[in-house]
Amino acid sequence: MINLFEVARLLSQAGVKFVIVGGIAIRSHGGNYITEDLDICYDRTRDNLQKLADTLAPLNPRPRGFDEQLPFIFDWSTLQHGTNFTFKTSMGDVDLLGEVKGIGAYDDLVKDSIRVDLDGFATQILSIGGLIKAKEASGRPKDEPGLKVLYALLDSELDED
Amino acid sequence: MKKRTPEEKLLDPRPGGNIAAASEYGIDLTQIVENLRLTPAERIKGNDQAVNSVLRFEEAMRREKAAKKSKTL
Repeated sequence: MINLFEVARLLSQAGVKFVIVGGIAIRSHGGNYITEDLDICYDRTRDNLQKLADTLAPLNPRPRGFDEQLPFIFDWSTLQHGTNFTFKTSMGDVDLLGEVKGIGAYDDLVKDSIRVDLDGFATQILSIGGLIKAKEASGRPKDEPGLKVLYALLDSELDED
Repeated sequence: MKKRTPEEKLLDPRPGGNIAAASEYGIDLTQIVENLRLTPAERIKGNDQAVNSVLRFEEAMRREKAAKKSKTL
């Protein structure tokens, strides 16, 4: 069973520094987007890598597309040796991004994010404007529908009509 | 003039704007309106439920195909 909400809750309650980006961020702003993965941009400090690894380890993360027969060790050191990761876990796919095109690293994303209460816990979610910047910078055709939704959401919030 | 709410703007977009463009592109704005009536937590949980429904449907289709295949063998 997919439970991306629970993954976000676990990360938040463990004190992991992260910002939700991608489809779940669009969804949380009201977009009618359905996604199978939770994309987060994470702080790459040693302490945060440790918390992130400790929180996700019980969900048995493995790189997507990785041979099932091959051994894989998931710990903070694994995360230190890369930047962006695409994992499958027991609660659904989780993508860890050290940087987001068009915006930058965690500290840059925090400035462009909003703190949102999610039924008892709060987390940082990239703003509509930040999501537009990221999707425009990626220039991928698959992002076009998401961008249309984001432009519409942004316009719906503007004071002028 | 009274300022329109986001919901009103989405349900009755001004021609030439980004909301009208999204509608013309094929985005179902009524789904966005429905989502905006939910809390952010409910929106994310709704995503999980939708994905799980699709996965259950795909699993049922796989089982059906396997059952048909075993009957023809």
